[in-house]
Parts: sequence; C-alpha cells; structure tokens
Amino acid sequence: MRFLNRFLTISSNDPDDIRRRRILNILIAVVGGMSLAALLIFLFPFFSGKNYVEILIAGSAVTLVGMLIIYLINIFGSGRIAATIFLIFLTIVFSFSDTPQEVSGGRSLFGFAIPIIMASILLVPWSSFVFSTISSIIISVIALSIHQTPNVPAIIGFFVIALVSWLSARSLETALKDLRSINANLDQEVVARTYALTESLDRERVEAGRNQAILNSIADGVIVFNKKWNATMANPAIKSMLDIPLELIIDKNFRELIEHPRLAAQSRGLLQSMIEHDTQPVGFRIGWGEKTLSVSAAQVYDNRTENNKNIGTVIVFRDFTREAEVEKLKSTFVAIVSHELRTPLNAILGYAEMFKEAVYGPMNEKQVNMAVRIMKNTQRLLGLINDLLDQAQMEAGKLTIHIAPLKPAELLESLHGLLDKTASDKRLRLTSEIDDDLPEILNGDSARLHQILVNLVTNAIKFTDQGEVRVKLVRSDDAKWGIEVEDTGQGIPEVDLPYIFDTFRQVEGATTRVHGGFGLGLSIVKQLVNLMSGDVKVESKINSGTKFTITLPLVIP
Amino acid sequence: MSELALIIEDDEDLASIFAEALRGIDYEVEHAADGKLAQERLKSGVVPFIILLDMHLPHISGGDLLTTIKQDERFENTIVIITTADARMGDMYRDQADFVMIKPISFVQLRDLTARLKPK
Repeated sequence: MRFLNRFLTISSNDPDDIRRRRILNILIAVVGGMSLAALLIFLFPFFSGKNYVEILIAGSAVTLVGMLIIYLINIFGSGRIAATIFLIFLTIVFSFSDTPQEVSGGRSLFGFAIPIIMASILLVPWSSFVFSTISSIIISVIALSIHQTPNVPAIIGFFVIALVSWLSARSLETALKDLRSINANLDQEVVARTYALTESLDRERVEAGRNQAILNSIADGVIVFNKKWNATMANPAIKSMLDIPLELIIDKNFRELIEHPRLAAQSRGLLQSMIEHDTQPVGFRIGWGEKTLSVSAAQVYDNRTENNKNIGTVIVFRDFTREAEVEKLKSTFVAIVSHELRTPLNAILGYAEMFKEAVYGPMNEKQVNMAVRIMKNTQRLLGLINDLLDQAQMEAGKLTIHIAPLKPAELLESLHGLLDKTASDKRLRLTSEIDDDLPEILNGDSARLHQILVNLVTNAIKFTDQGEVRVKLVRSDDAKWGIEVEDTGQGIPEVDLPYIFDTFRQVEGATTRVHGGFGLGLSIVKQLVNLMSGDVKVESKINSGTKFTITLPLVIP
Repeated sequence: MSELALIIEDDEDLASIFAEALRGIDYEVEHAADGKLAQERLKSGVVPFIILLDMHLPHISGGDLLTTIKQDERFENTIVIITTADARMGDMYRDQADFVMIKPISFVQLRDLTARLKPK
C-alpha cells in the first residue's frame, strides 16, 4: 500500500494538477498491468512452441513500454503532455483494435468513449470535445476507406458523451475550487483567531501582573471577595495590618474571618450587618487587637456583562490607630478646656455679681461700677472662649444643630435682654420687628440662632458710632424665612467684602486694630448658617452702613 | 422652716457662690464636694427640696447620681437642677432633670430661679 502510494505520489504546487496526474498514474497502472498480463498470455504459446500471434505480442509490448514512458513524463515532466499522449495512444489503440467495419460502425465504437470521458478529467473539461472530434474524424476516415457512409449517429453520440463529461468535470472543478477557497478562508480565520487569542492571553497576563503589582504596592490592606464572600485575593499590606498570614485569609469565607478573636465584639456586628444588608459603607471603624482600622467596602461590577453583573466586593482596610488617638485627644482636649476655663470664669463672674448685688453689705457707686466692669470683661472672655471652642468643634465636624419648635419673637426678646444695654451705652438704638406673615412657631435651633443674632448685632454695635442697629425677621418666600441685621455704621470697603467670613479675619490689620476680638464672629455665623442649610449675604456702603441678610429654610412644626 | 438645698459641686468657689445665692433667699444649704459624699448624704435619709447637680464630679459622676435620685421614690418631689459647663451633657440629661443651667451660671439668675421655685 505504501509502495503504491509512493508510486502514485506527485510533487506539485497546483492541487488540480496533482489530482489529474494521480488519476493518470492510476490509469497508467491499470493499462500497464493489463498489457503486462496480455503480454504474458500471448507469450505463453510462443515459449511452449505452439502457434502464436506476433502482432498481439508486439502490441502488448509496445503498450507496456508506452505506459512506462508516459508514467515517467507524468512524474518528472508535464502532466498535461503525459495525459495528451496517453489519450491519443488510447484512441489509436482503439482505432486499430478491431476490423475497420467494427471500428467505424460496430462493437468497437464504444472504445472511443473512454478517451473522450477521460480527457475531461485528465486535461481541461473542454478537451473531451477535442477527443470527440478526433474520434469522429477517425471513424469517418475508416468508414470512407472501406467505402461506407460515415456513422453520423455514432458521431452525435460522441459529442453527447463529450457534453456530459464536460458538464460533470466542470461542476466537479467548480465544487473543488469552492471547497479550496472555503478551506483557505478557514485557515486564515484559524490563524487570525489563534493570533488574537495569543495576544489577549498575553495582555491578560500583563494586566494580571500589573494589577497584582498595584495591589502589592498599596499601603492599605485590600481583600477581594467573590459573590459568595470567599476571599480570592489579598495584598501583603493586609498581612501586616491584621498580623495574620495570607494563607489564613485567602479562600476563607468572610463569616469565618470575622470570627477571629482579635476583632472587637462590637465591630463584628458592624461587619456582619454589612454583608447581610449588602451595604457599601465608607470609612467605618473597627477594633482589631490594639489597632483601630477604617473599613471601606465597594462592590465590583463586571461592565462587560449585560446589566453590569455584581461579581464581588473589595474591602479596603486602613490603619487608623494614630488618627483615632489624635481625634480622641482633641475631643478630650476640647472638653477639658471647655470645662476648666469656664469654671474659674464662672467663679469670677459670680463673685463680681455678689459685689454688685451687695451680698455682703452696701457698696458705693465706684465699687459697683468696678464689679460691673469685672463682669463685662469676664463675659467678653467667655464669649471669646466660646467662639474658639465652637470653631474647634466645627473643624472637628462635631458641632450639631438641634432642631426644635421655637418662637421667633422669643429670639428677639432674649437679644434685647442681652444687648439693649450695650447699644444704649454707645447711644445707639437697637430696634427689631417681625414680618406679619412669619409663623409664630417654626422649627430651628434656638440656641444657635440666638448665637447668630448676638454675633451679628454685637458686630453691628461695635462698628457703628451713631444711629441705629435694626433687626428684622422676615418671611422671604413660601419656603424660606430670614434674619436681617442692618446698621448705620462705617461700612466695609468693597475689596474686603469677599473675606469678611474668613476665620481670624478683621478688616483692620492686626497691629492697627481699633476693635478687639478674634475675628471669629462672622466666620462662625457663616458656618452655623451653612449647617442649617441656609445662606448669608452682605451689602455695605462706606460711611453709610452694612446689611447682613440670612436666609433659612422655613419648616413649620 | 426653710427648704433644704443640696449643692453637689466639686469647685469650691462655685459651690460657695451658689450657696450664697440660695442662702440669700432663705434656703438651708448643704454642700457635697464629690459624687461619693453626695451619694452617702442622699442615702442618709435627708430629702432636699432642691438639688443643684454638677455633672463632672470625682468618684461618682453626676449622671449616675441623677439615675440614683430618679429611681428613689423619696426624691419624687425634689427639684433637680443640672449645672454643667458642657452643653452637650446638658442636652443629654435634659429630659431627666427639672432644669438645666449651662455654666457660666449667673448669681442673679440662679437666685431668681430658685426664689421662684420656693413654695409661697
């Protein structure tokens, strides 16, 4: 079989050529085999001394040699030439294989059909017409040579055979061509796909490496959980932060991790509720041994999938131990300062009041006056301390607004109680009014609104030398109410207006100041108003006056 | 007979000012300088008409004392005035006390308030 295969093998680049020459080789082998067999049969009487037919022996031998030559041409030379010779050889053989009568009109006519059919397969499809023509000429010549009329039905038959062969050979070639082009496309596709796959694998490897490198270089501890809350990835920082080896984190379930004895009991509940309610908290604190950690969780969505499928959660841990300590210290500091400063001031104030009230016997006018001055200065000092503490609390984000129903009229009442005397001491009028359509009761933080009014009015009195300070509570519109504080004072230069709400800022320079204070008053007003979701505006004209307008959301209880 | 006022205050000066204010309007005044002393005094059977209660106290905090007072039926009619410098603390206990005064507390203010509370 292997030998046969080698015998038939042709080396060429054209697959059609290979196919044709292979078929030719098979035919050569068949014809060669047959002629070899015939030669042996015909030679048998020759060697056994009987009568033999010379022409048959010679014919078989010539055919055998012819086949060998055609085979060599087919293998080493051109397939087409070999095929042409082969077909012509067959045609000639059939022409002389029988009596002229039989060839031109009898039993041997069928022999011509063989080269006609083969031509379409071995050469080009249309060559079957060439061989039907040749065969027609041959039988016509033979017929004429024996004085017969050329066999027209046989000639028509040859052309019909040629037509059928041509059609079938041509459709076969077209089908093969299509098949080859499909194959070629397929090959190309496979190459392209393979390339793309290799490339994306490479890219993925690079990407994964880069992601891991990024993860490794983050100072915060990161754990990535899949949809089932199993840890799939963690960075080295988490190891030192939690002080447990990565093997105890990777592949572990979140519920298992929060059972760790180092986790503070109250933190366990926080983390548990995070996964039970599927929330994504940012920056809540947990206790881990001696450490305080800030925890932020973010769900991961795969944006390549439809409706962004959730594929897990990334939890970032940050060591917050130091910050937590500092915060606690600051908070303690503010509480201590608040208590420790106010207590002795309260004592000074109390004793001065006792002088003024003549608790231990009558006092003369000068003595009372002095007591009043002590009280006033103490109040001022207290005011400054309160401002500083408020500022510190606001910076720490700890100052909160307590909303409760209040009467606007009471705000004005307590304002007059506190500042009427201060105003009249400077020979200023402090007047106030309330819009008729302002509700009698509304929601607000009365202590902070009082503070705002006191700050604005104290300021107005401080910077006004004659005239009046007017306070008005107004209904701005359906959803807003407001406070207006207007004075007839020296006004604020236009260039300074943008900065008046800044912390520790006064219009006068630090060394040339006529008016005392930290410059915290307006800044606190602004921050308080902002905390109340309101807005504060200022208009001012030099030597004519200043007007502050505060707008606040109106909520009726 | 004058009403008893118990001043629970660790600052001596403030205690003396508060005492002076209350004495001036005829209260009988007692002073406890820390939480422990105050608790002992309250357990001894004395029932003050008014208690001035500071929240920052040595040994036992004002908050804990307030809880003890509120749980004891004997003090049902006792008026509790919280005196504190910490406004937040004041807010926290506002519901449990009759009055909350934020320090600095004025001598006159305290005197006028307690005078009003006195039975006619």
